[in-house]
Amino acid sequence: MKTKIILCFALGIFAVAFRSADGERFEVPVHWQKPTYDFRKNPLTGNTIALGRALFYDPILSRNNTISCASCHSQYSAFTHGDHALSHGIDDRIGTRNAPALMNLAWQRSFMRDGAINHLDMQALAPISNPTEMDENIAHVVAKLQATKAYPKLFYKAFGDSAISGEHTLKAIAQFMLTLVSSSAKYDSVMRKQAVFSQQERKGYLLFQIHCSACHTEPLFTNHAFMNNGLPVDTTLRDMGRFSITMNADDSLKFAVPTLRNIEFSYPYMHDGRFKRLSDVLHHYTAGVVQSSTLAKELKKPIALTSNEKVDIIAFLLTLTDKTFLFNPTFSFPPNMIEEAAKD
Amino acid sequence: MTRLSITLIIIYCLAFSEAFGQTRLVNASTIRLSIIPTYGTNAVVIGDSAFRAKDSHNVQIEVLKFYVSHIQFLKNGAVVLEEQKSFHLIDAAVKASFHLAIANKQGIEFDAVRFHLGIDSATSVSGAMGGDLDPTKGMYWTWQSGYVNFKCEGKSDLCKARNNEFQFHLGGYRQPYYCLQTLTFPVHNLNEIILQFNAETFLNHIDVTTHHHVMSPNAEAVRLSAMVANSFSMVKSNSAK
Repeated sequence: MKTKIILCFALGIFAVAFRSADGERFEVPVHWQKPTYDFRKNPLTGNTIALGRALFYDPILSRNNTISCASCHSQYSAFTHGDHALSHGIDDRIGTRNAPALMNLAWQRSFMRDGAINHLDMQALAPISNPTEMDENIAHVVAKLQATKAYPKLFYKAFGDSAISGEHTLKAIAQFMLTLVSSSAKYDSVMRKQAVFSQQERKGYLLFQIHCSACHTEPLFTNHAFMNNGLPVDTTLRDMGRFSITMNADDSLKFAVPTLRNIEFSYPYMHDGRFKRLSDVLHHYTAGVVQSSTLAKELKKPIALTSNEKVDIIAFLLTLTDKTFLFNPTFSFPPNMIEEAAKD
Repeated sequence: MTRLSITLIIIYCLAFSEAFGQTRLVNASTIRLSIIPTYGTNAVVIGDSAFRAKDSHNVQIEVLKFYVSHIQFLKNGAVVLEEQKSFHLIDAAVKASFHLAIANKQGIEFDAVRFHLGIDSATSVSGAMGGDLDPTKGMYWTWQSGYVNFKCEGKSDLCKARNNEFQFHLGGYRQPYYCLQTLTFPVHNLNEIILQFNAETFLNHIDVTTHHHVMSPNAEAVRLSAMVANSFSMVKSNSAK
């Protein structure tokens, strides 16, 4: 009897999922905490996720219909802007930051490098309106969507209302982004005892736990805090990070701690994409940290790593690559969806 | 005839000629709350440059919008009636938005009305919403989260900014720059309540020659939000017939 109770309890923990009326499930990976996103206010449905996916890949969101969300968040780069230190948007205008990677957003409490956005639903408003990104406004986006043949039908399927609103547009995009869950890297298989680290990966993991995990906390590999990691200020950008939102001097030079999942594919690194290689990042933490009053306490004392130890840590970081996420066809461009809806 | 009397007559006429004859059906079980944007003794006319302020300069209001939310009715200081999902965008360009109808089916007696000017913190962190809170209404910041509680844009001869333009976007849902204001007005168990927001009173608090922009949650936004609150006043209230 006792065994049965324990078994039931365990199943209760491992089977955490949020199910909507049409049976769409948001699965919480084993051993992960409960998401912060409130699914009751925007319950996932297959039709809404599909609509959000269409919107995510549709440049209609931009002023001249050339830039989509995917322009700066491409799947093969872990939904960041690969190959560009500073992301560029409409008319080749260059922004001031590297677009953050998108994954596991249901657990995130704020968005953007400085946490300017307080809810995933509202996140898309920022790039839609930013003059260096899409240079549009949500009211005009809604008007453009309403004027198409396809979108009123897709919104009706998703929300039971073909009159498109800003609320529904944003909630649909949020639903697609919520599905971008990465939890199937080699690291995850090892944690589930379905695989084992190589000797080098294991050494790297132990070093990671000593030197890195205070901020890049497992299993999401971020503590979701804003921290100053000692980067010298880029005088061409003079980006003060979180300070520009709170106007609190204690937040000067603090940026959101990014996840390290899929870091092999999410280069370049840091808020301004200044480092192209993981070895550059580790060199910064061992030899480049600038002391200041807001520097993270974890970095006040220099981190000492030998060359071999750095290689071991990088070997571990590569176990965070999740190819089922990076090449998941349900996250990619939805071929013919708009065309098919327009024909119906 | 005094200036106040003229104001009362104009606003009273505005309230009844434009509002309740149009779209909203009301009866004795409905409390009619009107909030009329004015400039001195005149109703605000968007884009009209005819306004003349006390020091004889011309003022043109291009945008005047603000949120009224969480409307409650009090008796002896206690809440006896409150509107559910109570979020209203008052837009000087949309006369129908001036007039609110709040159900009071049980005829509950009250002696004061209370409401928020702006959107509270809890609502501001609750994701995308529709109706008057839909971001297409142009009252949600995009570069950071949060509603603009009060927006007043226009031109003044005295303003030394580009094209003589001033822009006051007041909002902020987090301390220390939480801009929400709470306003309470005594009434006398009434079914028709008319308030005015006097943009002239608000602008008279500001030296627009040098002070013409507030676009972020900051200390000045908090200070000016209190000035906005001080620019509301009771015009008239009637018992239901």
